[in-house]
Amino acid sequence: MGVKRVALLAVLLTILAILVIIFFRSGALEKIKLPAEVPPPVLEPSPSGPVQTRKIVLFFLSEGDTLLHPEEREITASSSIVRQAKQAVEELIKGSNKGYISPFPPETKLRELFLAGDGVAYVDFSEEIVEKHLSGSSAEISTIFSVVNSLAYNFETIKKVFILIEGQERETLGGHINLNRPFLPLYDLIAN
Amino acid sequence: MKLSVKDYPTLSRVIIESSLPISFDIEKSSSLLMVNISTDASFRIQRGAFESRIIKSFGWSKGKDFYILAIRTKVRNFSYDYFTLSDPPKLVIDFSQIDEEKSETPDSLKQKEASRGKVPQPSTASSFLQGMKTIVIDPGHGGLEPGAKGRFGTLEKNVVLEIGLKLRAVIERNFPSRVVLTRDKDLNVSLENRAALANNNKADFFISIHANSSFRKDARGSETYFLSRDATDEEARKLAFMENNPAEFGEGITGESEDEIQMILWDMAQSAYLKQSSLLAESIQKELNLLLRTTNRGVKQAPFTVLAGVACPAVLVEVAFISNPREERSLTREGFQINVAQAIYRGLVGYIELYSQK
Repeated sequence: MGVKRVALLAVLLTILAILVIIFFRSGALEKIKLPAEVPPPVLEPSPSGPVQTRKIVLFFLSEGDTLLHPEEREITASSSIVRQAKQAVEELIKGSNKGYISPFPPETKLRELFLAGDGVAYVDFSEEIVEKHLSGSSAEISTIFSVVNSLAYNFETIKKVFILIEGQERETLGGHINLNRPFLPLYDLIAN
Repeated sequence: MKLSVKDYPTLSRVIIESSLPISFDIEKSSSLLMVNISTDASFRIQRGAFESRIIKSFGWSKGKDFYILAIRTKVRNFSYDYFTLSDPPKLVIDFSQIDEEKSETPDSLKQKEASRGKVPQPSTASSFLQGMKTIVIDPGHGGLEPGAKGRFGTLEKNVVLEIGLKLRAVIERNFPSRVVLTRDKDLNVSLENRAALANNNKADFFISIHANSSFRKDARGSETYFLSRDATDEEARKLAFMENNPAEFGEGITGESEDEIQMILWDMAQSAYLKQSSLLAESIQKELNLLLRTTNRGVKQAPFTVLAGVACPAVLVEVAFISNPREERSLTREGFQINVAQAIYRGLVGYIELYSQK
């Protein structure tokens, strides 16, 4: 064995030792980070897996009659009813894919939606729902019951819907229908 | 504020004692007497137990700057008189029962009726003219609130005012009655004040006039609405609460039931008249269909704010769709407005002749 070979071996051993140390130390770091980075495995579908969806029914107007017409829509089946209900209202504001008429001013935004313990969903719209509204009795009734029926029909926990504007109670949308109390769904307004 | 009740041989006396001077007005509706107390102050209500031949219970409701005390009586027909005392301020209301058999009305009541403008008709008048009716016409929106807008720029507030004025003219020309408008010019009037005006004028009928609007371009025709009640758990619970817990009113009510009471009285105002309101709506809608040959959209129910507080048969007429260009043009035509006014008038008189004869 030459001196050269011994030297080479020493260098290799040193490198190995350093690698071993790095391996274990970084391993320790990984372990500390682990709980914070990995999401709870049960509640959410794995990021690589397919997104779970569910079918809901939204209610729109049609030119042919005065009734509300159902249209199916897929939303993310998140574990939170509030999140699902928000999606439902947002889809409703976006309008129909089948040529039905949306009973909302297109500028309307959903600000917030929360669910109280007594089954009342509070749906908070932006000012545009009042400002840009057509302000007729029929138009107000369509807007209100499109939301109320869509929520109560799809979500068993939602029994009534209270409509808020910019976080506040408002007397009416345009001078007609009383908004100062929660609405029960009116399924008589639905076609078929 | 302290309430007390005492019975005397001929009358029952209610004394309302306050720590501050109060201004008030009093309104009778069937077996209720409503005392409307204007005040910015907050009161606590105290009331002891009582036994009375005439007084049944008290209801108590708080508004923004007023309180309403509803005194329920056990008798259908009563008269009342009141006076005030000072130091401490007191309002004393005496109730006496009117014998159902007696056709003579006590003088005090007669005077009150007369001061309301209900002048008895001469006996030669046909039966339905007896007892002059007060008709309140409510042209919707007004002032800063234009209501719905047509494509050609027609504003709902203007056409409904025109129709309201024409309706007043046709009623006054043909039917002995007192007609009151909630607005006779381009004016802002709150929904609450429209109902209050009807109640303060002891209205026999309330007709709100609107022009409709829809997201559907083709929507057309007339509609007549009356109030819908959520005949639901909540509503039923409130009414049951009022029926079953008269003793709970006043002293020692919890925060929650206070809220509950707040809404009861106004809610009840129209509830007592829903059947009449539906018949009046049908009668007017029938005439609108006949005269205008508009598409029959029929009688409908919805929770209209303006109707809820009105204590008499009350309807809301959606004359035509201002959102429909063809109907928008009709709405601006004087001939159409006169036809509508006449149709509403005939519907109203038809109802009075059929159902409202005394």
